[in-house]
Amino acid sequence: MIVPAKAKSMDRRELIGLVGVTLPALAGLLPEQLQAAALDARRRPALRAAPAAGLDAHQRALVDQISEMIMPATDTPGARAAGVTDFVDVIVGEYYRDDDRAAFLRGLADVDSRAQADFSKGFLELSEPQQTAILTGLDAEARAMPPGSPTPFFGRIKGLTLYGYYQSEIGYTQELHGVFMPGRYDGAAPLGR
Amino acid sequence: MPPTTYDAIVVGSGISGGWAAKELTEKGLRTLVLEAGGPTDPAIDYVMQVRPWELHFHGWGDRAKLEHDQAVQRRCYACDEWSGKFFVSDLDNPYTLAEGTRFDWIRGRQVGGRSITWGRQVYRWSDLDFGANARDGFGVDWPIRYADIAPWYDYVERYIGISGNAEGLAQLPDGQFLPGMPLNVAEQFVRDGLARHYGRERVLTIGRVAILTEDHRGRAACGYCGVCERGCSTFSYFNSVHVTLPAAAATGKLTLRPWSVVHSVIYDPRTGKASGVRVIDARTNEVLEFRSRIVFLNASALESARILLNSTSARWPNGLANSSGALGKYVMDHWMGWGAHGDVPGFEDKTTAGARPNGTYLPRFRNLTGRQPDFVRGYGYQGGGGRAGWGRGSSMPGFGRGLKEALRTPAPWTYSMSAWGECLPRETNAVTLDPVVKDKWGIPALRIDCRWGDNERAAMRDAAVQAAEMLEAAGVRNVRQHEANNPPGLTIHEMGTARMGKDRNTSVLNGWNQAWDVPNLFITDGACMASSANQNPSITYMALTARAADHAVDLMRRREL
Repeated sequence: MIVPAKAKSMDRRELIGLVGVTLPALAGLLPEQLQAAALDARRRPALRAAPAAGLDAHQRALVDQISEMIMPATDTPGARAAGVTDFVDVIVGEYYRDDDRAAFLRGLADVDSRAQADFSKGFLELSEPQQTAILTGLDAEARAMPPGSPTPFFGRIKGLTLYGYYQSEIGYTQELHGVFMPGRYDGAAPLGR
Repeated sequence: MPPTTYDAIVVGSGISGGWAAKELTEKGLRTLVLEAGGPTDPAIDYVMQVRPWELHFHGWGDRAKLEHDQAVQRRCYACDEWSGKFFVSDLDNPYTLAEGTRFDWIRGRQVGGRSITWGRQVYRWSDLDFGANARDGFGVDWPIRYADIAPWYDYVERYIGISGNAEGLAQLPDGQFLPGMPLNVAEQFVRDGLARHYGRERVLTIGRVAILTEDHRGRAACGYCGVCERGCSTFSYFNSVHVTLPAAAATGKLTLRPWSVVHSVIYDPRTGKASGVRVIDARTNEVLEFRSRIVFLNASALESARILLNSTSARWPNGLANSSGALGKYVMDHWMGWGAHGDVPGFEDKTTAGARPNGTYLPRFRNLTGRQPDFVRGYGYQGGGGRAGWGRGSSMPGFGRGLKEALRTPAPWTYSMSAWGECLPRETNAVTLDPVVKDKWGIPALRIDCRWGDNERAAMRDAAVQAAEMLEAAGVRNVRQHEANNPPGLTIHEMGTARMGKDRNTSVLNGWNQAWDVPNLFITDGACMASSANQNPSITYMALTARAADHAVDLMRRREL
């Protein structure tokens, strides 16, 4: 079998090239069955093509704005550039149970209600300081809830935003400076960016 | 048509089946390996390089589908959006539970079995373990001692490549180590603190793992991506797919047949031996028979027992090789999760780089010489230190620029350790064939009756108290104990259903993993274990398999088989 001499820091493209030449001798066994399985696997799409059906256009716009405010563009891109809204759409539409989805959508609607109550406009029509005031209130309320309470809306969207952002390609590479396979472990590495 | 007669049949292609295949083929036997699941192709099936944003659920997994298809399997941390395919469908592979019990049976049916997703920790047993049953009277005495298996540990370790540090501890013998992975500064702090307080009685060391820290026998050193269970494209950790099965294939003596669900072992009353196995093709349901001179069962502890319980005949109404009545009994698994954690002061200017797929190990210190008042045997701790990153953001106040900036600095260092403890062999912890429920192929499902006993519960409590005491002694701050409520099975170290022993009236296998009742039948997976020790068991299965294969071929050459 052919194996690379040494796995150093590799990006995905290099890795794909690599696995192309690392077929062990096993692949030569029972060629019929193995080839059939290989073709099966290749036919299977890596990503599901069907779009999520979790959020309508207005709800997406709300998520887009709120998530960008939670994780904004600074010297690195923010949640919007990282595609967090698409991730939230998938989780709300396809991962959440019905009650979780309903709670999330109620929470989104409540953001608009608060905007109407405080400023007589929808959340997306508010100025950024006004929007910040709404989210600051939600954050304070969420943190004031006693332990064991149902997850508040702001806790949900904050958690989804952080995961969606840091586990996006942009968040991982540009914000975290992630290296997928560094080729070494250092348990006393200097801290610093 | 492939031939139907071989020198040897190996049932299962996982961690022990792969070793049986390698050893038997290298000794010249034409060997058929039967795997219940489908083939595994590293180029396609290994998915370590797939990034979360390339997956539909970004790593969260398809909750609804998992709950429906893999309600049990998903309880294992590794059964996720990447590696869920390496775990069985619980719909196709049902089992039942005795009333009031829970057992999480985690299984992998594909070429490679669970060696693809295993935890890779490898710890030798010592005579403390092989002599345990004789010493305190629980279970039957092991027919072997450390001296019998030590050369086979050497043999297996040299081949697969294991990394670790020699510590010279009698209760955890050193092995053939590649350089150990580094401890991080928090772990070194705990190691040093423990050494000051306990000397050599309680030693924290880097985990001993079947992961290469140097290039080894054509495989590359670990790249530290940290997600071994997704399949390793550099072949840096050991599994049977890219190590032992290719070695077996290279001999030209191997036939590997995936999609082969073994129904039973066929017994020939005229010879008193196994003549082969009956197989159901997983895709066509065709019933096939394969013949051989010897049979190795390596289907996993519970599956091997299930096959034998289902191998009934006039001579063996209660299951093949079961004259002792021990078959299916004495199920053990390690309990895990009780321990302590806290904050490690200092080292603010240090962090970690690379994802080390390994942690720390603190070997057993209980009941080495003295005697604990409320439990026998012992436990060891796995653990690790680190600094939390962005994942703690949800529990921090605020949002926006300030939060993003704050998350650029990791949290202070913490260290956590959790015990993995020994389980006593008890006759009442047993598997039987369910009288009603069958799997997708019509084979009776197992009914599992397994629960922790008072000895395990007492040791769990002690482990949490001792962990807290040790961390405080080492200088860790804000030490808190933690408990766990894991059912048997979830540690995935189930074993003991066809135990070895010195007496054919109380055990299924002799000191060579050979069935007392059926001399050409060998069982070298976890079923053979007469006690559980507290160490992760796979390296012992591998060593016993190589040893048994050597003995089996020796008997064949001497015409005794």
